Amino acid sequence: MASSSNPYEHYNSPHVEDDGDLIDPDDANLDDLDDPLQHTTTQSSRAPLTGNITSSQSYLTSRIPGEDRRASGNTIDESVWETLRRDLLAVWSKMREVLYPKYLFGGSMLDNTTSIRGAYANLREAGLQGAREELVGLAGRAMDADNLLAGGGMSEGLKDWDLWGPLVFCLLLSLLLSFRALEEQKSLVFSGVFAMVWIGEAVVTMQIKLLGGNISFAQSVCIIGYTLFPLVIAALLSALGIPTIPRIPVYLFLIAWSLAAGISILGGSGVVKNRLGIAVYPLLVFYLALGCLCFIS
Amino acid sequence: MDPNRPAELSWRLSSHPITLLCFLAFRMSSLLVYLFGLLFTGNFVLIFIITILLLAVDFYYLKNIAGRRLVGLRWWNEVNPQTGDSHWVFESSDPSTKTINATDSRFFWLALYAQPLLWVGLAIVAIFRFEFIWLTLVVIALSLTVTNTLAFSRCDKFSQASNLAGSALSGGGLAGNVVTGMLSRLFARG
Repeated sequence: MASSSNPYEHYNSPHVEDDGDLIDPDDANLDDLDDPLQHTTTQSSRAPLTGNITSSQSYLTSRIPGEDRRASGNTIDESVWETLRRDLLAVWSKMREVLYPKYLFGGSMLDNTTSIRGAYANLREAGLQGAREELVGLAGRAMDADNLLAGGGMSEGLKDWDLWGPLVFCLLLSLLLSFRALEEQKSLVFSGVFAMVWIGEAVVTMQIKLLGGNISFAQSVCIIGYTLFPLVIAALLSALGIPTIPRIPVYLFLIAWSLAAGISILGGSGVVKNRLGIAVYPLLVFYLALGCLCFIS
Repeated sequence: MDPNRPAELSWRLSSHPITLLCFLAFRMSSLLVYLFGLLFTGNFVLIFIITILLLAVDFYYLKNIAGRRLVGLRWWNEVNPQTGDSHWVFESSDPSTKTINATDSRFFWLALYAQPLLWVGLAIVAIFRFEFIWLTLVVIALSLTVTNTLAFSRCDKFSQASNLAGSALSGGGLAGNVVTGMLSRLFARG
């Protein structure tokens, strides 16, 4: 048997690659060898990790500007009732500003008492000269309504805006106005008033922003939405069907109330200095239009 | 709790079952009222109001309560009273003090991403049926749900990035975009 003469005849010799770069030559010195440290740092978990973190912000979410924060733990673990209570109180504090426009009625009085007290202190300190300056200042403040309104800072309740007020009052207004509409026009009236309120709020807000008011868009929509409360009363009276003649003075009063609340909150927060009239004129048009809708419904 | 335990979609495994059930109920009720409300009443105005109120409640509940309790994330907007600039803040809880239940988080992300997709589908239906009055409702729903989705995925990016950087894991878990982030949320880590 010829084949038995070579027992390794059927042995497939393994294919050996040229391992010149796997096995280092014997005469290589330290500079020729691969640096294991350098080699691994380029492929260790650290480098792609940092690369990934910067790229992990996807296009959509990285477009959202903002601050990332680690929760302090005191409010992220609070109970549901505490959250609800805090937000309801925030809503109530905004309602209170509308129910009682403090910069027009209370705020100016409060200003006067503090400045009278200040005047008294000045009188004792500086004598006649100081008293005269103080009186001039007092008169100047009383004459300049813009200045008076711009005096107060933005109230606490308006810093954190929400859209509950605008939503609820807008829905109530549309609902109450559609009650008296013809049966087949109900949904048309409802959606018309609904759209008109939101578009009106957006337009008035745009105008305030273009005049250079230092207020954010959502904040202004929030304020205007809350000041719709008197007009909701007007719509309720219309839905109850009070006669036409008493409507005129009552509705004029309610529109004036809305306007007073709007001016006092927007002006009291120093939104547009020296241009309050031109800023609130569209607000007046908006309230008048809604008032007329209540009147004719 | 063993973090490697598979996250099953069963509310019994949740650590906040009431919060989770309320969350799912609010999420689904607005869609159900929109879809099937007209079977019970022909009153467009009533359905519109109920759907909007349910959407608003869902938005509030997800933003302020469910996100905080289920996955330890929260976001809000701050206004600088001097300049009137608004400023978004995205907050995530410290993983060393609060452990997130895998079932809770899987339910949360599933519902969070599914809702806008469903409303997009309904928007297409409304466009092709020329029901533009209903389209306004769908647009409101979309803007509310998409806002929440984007804000929470933005929140989660920071939370994931800082957790991984802290524990120096390999970068494979860091998803490149919202979709893969969502998929890895749902299927890989649960």
